[in-house]
Amino acid sequence: MSVQPGIPDVDNESLEDRLYTVKYEDPGDSHLDVTIPGICAEKCHTDDCVSVCPAGVWRVGEDGVPEIAYENCLECGSCRWACPHGNVEWTYPDTGAGVTYKHG
Amino acid sequence: MTADATDRISLADRDTATPDYDDAFDAVVVGAGLAGSTAALTMAKNGLDVLIVERGRFPGAKNVFGGVLYTPTLRELVDVESAPLERYIAERRFGMLTDDDETAVSLSPGEWHEPPHNDSYTVRRGAFDEWLADRAVDAGATLVCRTTVTDLLREGDRIVGVETDRPDGTVRAPYVVLAEGGNSLVSEGADLKDRERRENVAVGVKEVLEFPERDHAIEDRFRVSGDAGASYHYFGEGAVGDAFGGGFVYTNEDTVSVGLAYRLSDAATSQPDPEGTLDAFKSHPAVAPLLRGARTVEYTAKTIPEGGAEAIPQLVHDGAVLVGDTAGLVLNNGLHLEGTNMAVESGFHAGKAVADAADRGRTDADALAGYREALESSFVVRNLDRYEWLIERVQEDRQLLFEELPRAVADAGSEYFRMDRAPKDDHAETAKRELLQAVGGYTGAAKLAVRYRNLL
Repeated sequence: MSVQPGIPDVDNESLEDRLYTVKYEDPGDSHLDVTIPGICAEKCHTDDCVSVCPAGVWRVGEDGVPEIAYENCLECGSCRWACPHGNVEWTYPDTGAGVTYKHG
Repeated sequence: MTADATDRISLADRDTATPDYDDAFDAVVVGAGLAGSTAALTMAKNGLDVLIVERGRFPGAKNVFGGVLYTPTLRELVDVESAPLERYIAERRFGMLTDDDETAVSLSPGEWHEPPHNDSYTVRRGAFDEWLADRAVDAGATLVCRTTVTDLLREGDRIVGVETDRPDGTVRAPYVVLAEGGNSLVSEGADLKDRERRENVAVGVKEVLEFPERDHAIEDRFRVSGDAGASYHYFGEGAVGDAFGGGFVYTNEDTVSVGLAYRLSDAATSQPDPEGTLDAFKSHPAVAPLLRGARTVEYTAKTIPEGGAEAIPQLVHDGAVLVGDTAGLVLNNGLHLEGTNMAVESGFHAGKAVADAADRGRTDADALAGYREALESSFVVRNLDRYEWLIERVQEDRQLLFEELPRAVADAGSEYFRMDRAPKDDHAETAKRELLQAVGGYTGAAKLAVRYRNLL
């Protein structure tokens, strides 16, 4: 039943299911990294990389340094601009690996 | 719907494991998107030997857009009618959303049903970009996919080719066209442009949805038939919360694209993450009925350079030019969301300028300056210049324009049409008072009118 009368529910799929719709080839190594882990651990209190990522790539790690689920990456580049410390290392996955969009 | 996109081209024909193309080409184009393929096509038509290097498995594999393709320039260069188009845009609707109201304006001029359909079509980039790159190949260009340009080659200040991630993947050429998209790792790495501030970059997310158990869902819900389609834009709180941006729904042939984009600085601070914002937008009372029963067939994300005219980097360098998103050529002023047409226009002028310079045997920035001049006198830079002030002011007034005013308009609307036993005089008076209150009385309304007088 709809929460609001007269408004149909829309089934929003989980992030996992959404990412499952994208064809993906694992490049083997992460194309993402942090430049200086100490900056994340000591200087960063906002985790902007986590806030902006549409794909759940960045997760706050126990030691304050983010864990990177690079295989979720949709290659948008948001984290690279979002980090106020310029601490995101971003390269393109090698030789066509990473995401392949059919619709785009 | 075609089979798996990666099956549509034979990689064996296109891929070259170890390209040995040194000095075999006059120009290398980095990226087979709209700007890159248009530049390649233009140069090839002018007799240059062109190599297009694309990092995806096929052209379009890495490309995402909102999605409407504007084709006035493309139509001059290729047979647009034979391209893989989805639907032409027959209706443009602009909806202002509070958390539970919509106030909308819709335009459906009859002439949009007639060719060339106002040069506005939905497309799937996976199909269209490949088609366009094939037109460049038909004109003589060489396309290499699954190959990433990692750096530029220099001799002094001059760009003399590219470094790729293939073994022995160095390609020397007199001209390099940088069409690598908004995430311009190569151009930034080579100091051809600075990294943009996050206030000037939007993050966009989009889903392509299908209606598995509902035939004619698109025709019925969007009131279209044949090849006609609709473009719905939304702004206000119900679209992207308190962020600066907006949402959209576009009809493809048998899918719809739904998504939104807003500034990264907002995503980093006040506004929930893009996926959560998309969920809320899709569930809005004005949007949910359009999407009921739909299933996600693809989820995509991209970043959009929205710095406007002031953020355009130096377009011309010794041996290199910047085009499309790499050059920051996107117009988003709320009403007009354009980038595809600007990418094509820039690729065309860049391609012509390179061909002209090649005729004269020169590679220096001065010899390529024709590109910058042509772009500055084209609609691309003129439109960005025209709306520079507007974008600044809308940013400053966003609370009023995206939250307070939509709410006041919705409230005034429901007051004006209220059915009770009070006379309409009373309703009109209350509606007027509510509207005036939102804009700060007659003085405030007059100030706003002055502030936005250049809009028309």
